[in-house]
Amino acid sequence: MENIYIEGSHTNFFIPTVDFNAETGVCVLSGESFLEDTIEFYDPLVQWLEEYTSEIKKPITFEIKLTYFNTSTSRSILDLLNILKEYEDEGGEVTVNWHYDEDDIDMEEDIEDYMLDTGLEINMIPFDEED
Amino acid sequence: MSRQSLFTRMTGKNVLMSFTGPFDTEVLSIFGKNIEHSISNDKKLNKTIFKVFIELAQNVSYYSLEKEKTKKGENAGVGTFIIQDFEDYFYFILGNPIDEKHQAILTEKCSRINSYDREGLRAYKRELRKLPQGERGTGNIGLVQAALVSRNPLDYTFIQINEKEAFYIVAVKINKN
Repeated sequence: MENIYIEGSHTNFFIPTVDFNAETGVCVLSGESFLEDTIEFYDPLVQWLEEYTSEIKKPITFEIKLTYFNTSTSRSILDLLNILKEYEDEGGEVTVNWHYDEDDIDMEEDIEDYMLDTGLEINMIPFDEED
Repeated sequence: MSRQSLFTRMTGKNVLMSFTGPFDTEVLSIFGKNIEHSISNDKKLNKTIFKVFIELAQNVSYYSLEKEKTKKGENAGVGTFIIQDFEDYFYFILGNPIDEKHQAILTEKCSRINSYDREGLRAYKRELRKLPQGERGTGNIGLVQAALVSRNPLDYTFIQINEKEAFYIVAVKINKN
């Protein structure tokens, strides 16, 4: 299974950095996400995760370090987290770490709401943006 | 807010930024950048305004009754936005023509959003997020997000254009402190 690496950019739209590694099971989604076509961007990530959880079946560590995402993106994130929850329910080993700016209350609430929606335990890891 | 006072505000003073035309990707990007980097000296406040702008501007782009084909071939919704700068807050106004039949639905949505406290709004956003992906955009989740991020209710009104069309105006206050 191939890895996915997409270099993020902040130009007309904000493309997040994607680093999904099939050997280590570490998947990182970082930067900002506001895209021209959200579904087109996230569909391959959803498919990758479905393939990993149905064929590779090794532990997975999902690291989210997004500092901004629009509501359109928020649906795709929900899709990714739902796949992880399903995998966990089937016996897969899943760790989700969500890094967020400690002053970003909106983001903190978003993470809490994802936990409610998915039933997945998300480790909330605050950082100081000034550091 | 009454129709008259909201309309008066649109044409009033303190206008910092305004645009009328198709809300295509270029417009979203140019104004988005401007807002994000230079609308005030407060980075966090700029980010808040940017978040409100993106959600509401995308609604115009997707749902305005009037569409214009851009050079890139995009079919972008036509509308107006205005940002006003007051001592204690920025006031963000968006307007676009709608099918008159949608007035009741939008009234219900906006009034529902304004009836919720923060916890209620979060629950409503989660409810909308679970709905199947639409062809474009995510329905009225952007309106909920604008209320959540700004921490203020939505001001909204409709101006009848003719039997079939109305002009929908939605506005939100973004406090400076």
